[in-house]
Amino acid sequence: MRPTAQALFAAVFAFVLLVIVPWAIRVTHHDDFYYTLSSVALLAIASGGVWLTFYIGRINIGQGAYALIGGYASAIFVVKAGLSFWIAMPLAGVVCALVSVAIGLPILRLRGVYFAMVTLVLTEVARLSALALPITNGAMGITEIPPPGPLGLFGFNLLPSFASFANRNQAFYFLCVVMMMLCFAALYRLVNSRVGRLFAALRQNEDLASSMGLNVPALRVLAYAISSFLGGVGGAIFAAIAQSVYPSSFTVADSINFMLNCFLGGLGYVFGPMLGTLVLYFGWDLLFQAGQYQLLIYSGVMIILMLVLPNGLLSLRFSRKKGA
Amino acid sequence: MEQVIVNGLYLGAQYALIALGLTLIFALMNVLNFAHGQMYVIGGFLVYEIYGRMHWPFVVALFAAAATLAVIGGLLERFLFRTVIRRSLREESTMLLAAGVAYFLDAAILLLFGEKQHGVPKIVRGVFVSDNLIIPYDRVLVACLAILFIVAFVLMMQFTKPGRAMRAMAQDRVAAQLMGVPVEFYSLVGFALGAMLAGLVGGLLVTITGVNSGIGGPISIKAFTMVMIGGAGVVGGAILGGFILGMLESVGLSVLHSYGDITYLAIFVSLLIFLSIRPNGLMGKPWG
Amino acid sequence: MAPILQVKNLSKAYGGLIAVNDVSFEVERGEILSVIGPNGAGKSTIFKLISSFVKPTRGEVLFEGERISGLAPHIVARKGVVRTFQETTIFKGLTARDSVVVAHHLRSRANLIDYYLNTAAARRDEDEFGRSSDEILEFLGLGEVKNEIAGNLPQGHLRALGIAIGLAANPKVLLLDEPFAGMNHDETRRAIEMTRAVRERGVTLLLVEHDIAAVMRISDRIAVINFGSKIAEGKPAEIQSNDKVIEAYLGVEDESIGI
Repeated sequence: MRPTAQALFAAVFAFVLLVIVPWAIRVTHHDDFYYTLSSVALLAIASGGVWLTFYIGRINIGQGAYALIGGYASAIFVVKAGLSFWIAMPLAGVVCALVSVAIGLPILRLRGVYFAMVTLVLTEVARLSALALPITNGAMGITEIPPPGPLGLFGFNLLPSFASFANRNQAFYFLCVVMMMLCFAALYRLVNSRVGRLFAALRQNEDLASSMGLNVPALRVLAYAISSFLGGVGGAIFAAIAQSVYPSSFTVADSINFMLNCFLGGLGYVFGPMLGTLVLYFGWDLLFQAGQYQLLIYSGVMIILMLVLPNGLLSLRFSRKKGA
Repeated sequence: MEQVIVNGLYLGAQYALIALGLTLIFALMNVLNFAHGQMYVIGGFLVYEIYGRMHWPFVVALFAAAATLAVIGGLLERFLFRTVIRRSLREESTMLLAAGVAYFLDAAILLLFGEKQHGVPKIVRGVFVSDNLIIPYDRVLVACLAILFIVAFVLMMQFTKPGRAMRAMAQDRVAAQLMGVPVEFYSLVGFALGAMLAGLVGGLLVTITGVNSGIGGPISIKAFTMVMIGGAGVVGGAILGGFILGMLESVGLSVLHSYGDITYLAIFVSLLIFLSIRPNGLMGKPWG
Repeated sequence: MAPILQVKNLSKAYGGLIAVNDVSFEVERGEILSVIGPNGAGKSTIFKLISSFVKPTRGEVLFEGERISGLAPHIVARKGVVRTFQETTIFKGLTARDSVVVAHHLRSRANLIDYYLNTAAARRDEDEFGRSSDEILEFLGLGEVKNEIAGNLPQGHLRALGIAIGLAANPKVLLLDEPFAGMNHDETRRAIEMTRAVRERGVTLLLVEHDIAAVMRISDRIAVINFGSKIAEGKPAEIQSNDKVIEAYLGVEDESIGI
């Protein structure tokens, strides 16, 4: 895409999310959609992180661990250390990035299914740690997290406290959507910069990359840290919306879902995780009417999708374009 | 002390059998079968229905469970995994499929059998008691059966024609194909066999611990853990990993008992440390 | 002048199996030295030892007098000892030109943050790498196919691309892994010309090769390995008449010696 087309696309996208969607929600009185869409945005951020680990050639089924760590970290910063949410959120991301560096250095040497299995175990480790550690308050979790306070920068008041909003769900919606756009813009830039090409080289052939002087272990850890940062930020905002975080807030099933979001959207496309999350989440929600058959239909459709479109939803659009 | 070791051996025999099925499918097709735990649960429920509720002999129930799972595994391979492997650009896609199958089986199990915990009558009564050892006889029997199945499996892999063919495939699929091994057929056989093993253990253990529809996922995670300890895709590794995990669990439950429920946390953390030193597990081959 | 590369008493054992046993030789600046030997003689282990993809059990490799064995492969590459891979290992999904541009990474002055923000320094690098890549691709006869996906290129082009990727890293010593393997007569002739041309650029070349005929034509000196040990070293003519070498090769396969 040319830069002008890019900017136009981004502007339209932002307009739809920030103006059209809220308008549609007001007209139709579907206020609960704010919560649903906020969740989609946050899950998309975390899935975007998973997508980046895929981009360097690793199957990551451990993002739930970082979402959980991020949720707990921000909750602890806000409740126990009295920090503002606006500081706690990025800080939670940084905590996750640091943890992921320590864990990633050894485990990123693993490849293929091995890495996937270890990351899966990682989610269990996070959950069990949250149950066992004193600071996370065990199975009780951390509850009654105050809503985000006012956001100020250099003495200017950018945002009032969330407690003062009449429609708090709407405020959270704007927060989540803006964060999602920021994260994906950053990701898009990353992948289309030279850094992205180095990552792609890593995915293609790590030995060759290192023989050209690329510091493969460092680049791998960098990608994994960015990925975990995104997971942590997503988890932190999630804890703020729910005003609570429990050991079961993010489990192995969530980790698998993050991975599925990426697969469904298509691993070749940066915006794949966004689309995948939206489709999976809404698909799941719509199937609520099916009652006890919800999971059966959902997974059945997933299996059929895999058979028909094994390379993701976005591959549909691209293969058509190629054919035309 | 003796009690802990015996418990560990008993658990280890079951676990080794679970891990064998997972590692077999992985070795032959490079598929990480997320649905392994669900297959275990189906095996458990079938034995519950046939032996527990219809009161047919246990052996018949176990045989029926094994046969059903073999058929399910074969169908999954033939109509789902084979197609996706052929069409997909990335081999990771099979993981999505496997996850989808796991969810599907979870849902089907819930619909068919409900969410209640179910148990069956003991297959043998009585308890062996000595100075420092208490073992119910049914556990002894179940452990012996598990070990019997493991031995039979290993002998089959070593000395029969299908076993040799599958070993060749696990070494190098392309080379095996060039040598005239019908790899598609043996993928099907391997998948059916792997599923059957999961069903067998489920059917055995339902007589001790019962079964409920929610344990599929945790069983899969345990199976992954064992395979990682021993080395993925290696038969010996799966057996070793199973016994090690069984022993760790048994020791952990007795030693760490006073600290609450942290046995698995300790096991997982040591696993992560172990893998950072030996990325391929105890017996795994280097990865490329 | 001191040799650019010194291999000193290099040994490597895998478990109880000794793959390389006390091998020493030196590579002079600007020469083409080939390491040959029958299959399984330990050639490729020596190759991996020099490029530091494998750590030696004993002994060391010195580059410009400095020990490089035990360093991470990317550090060794940064110092100027760059290896190529056989054609199966390239960046299959990138275009030929992109592969070579990425391979210029070593020369970059801008850091990752520059790249991310696309600062002036990054753009300068990018332009320079693009020009240099075009030059290298042209030089190796890949100008026509530079925008093809590497995975779709035919064999001969892939070999050249492998060398192009190696050259992009600005090597002082280029290690070529079986550059003539599986080539027919014509392809070999062209590959030999290409290799000579690379030497003309001031790059020292170390080849590990199985095809004796090609090696005889191109090398300044040859080291022969058998059963992990060096059994001979010298100019092609000396090697050709060395009894031990003939014996080693005749023992394995007759046609290879057909010089």
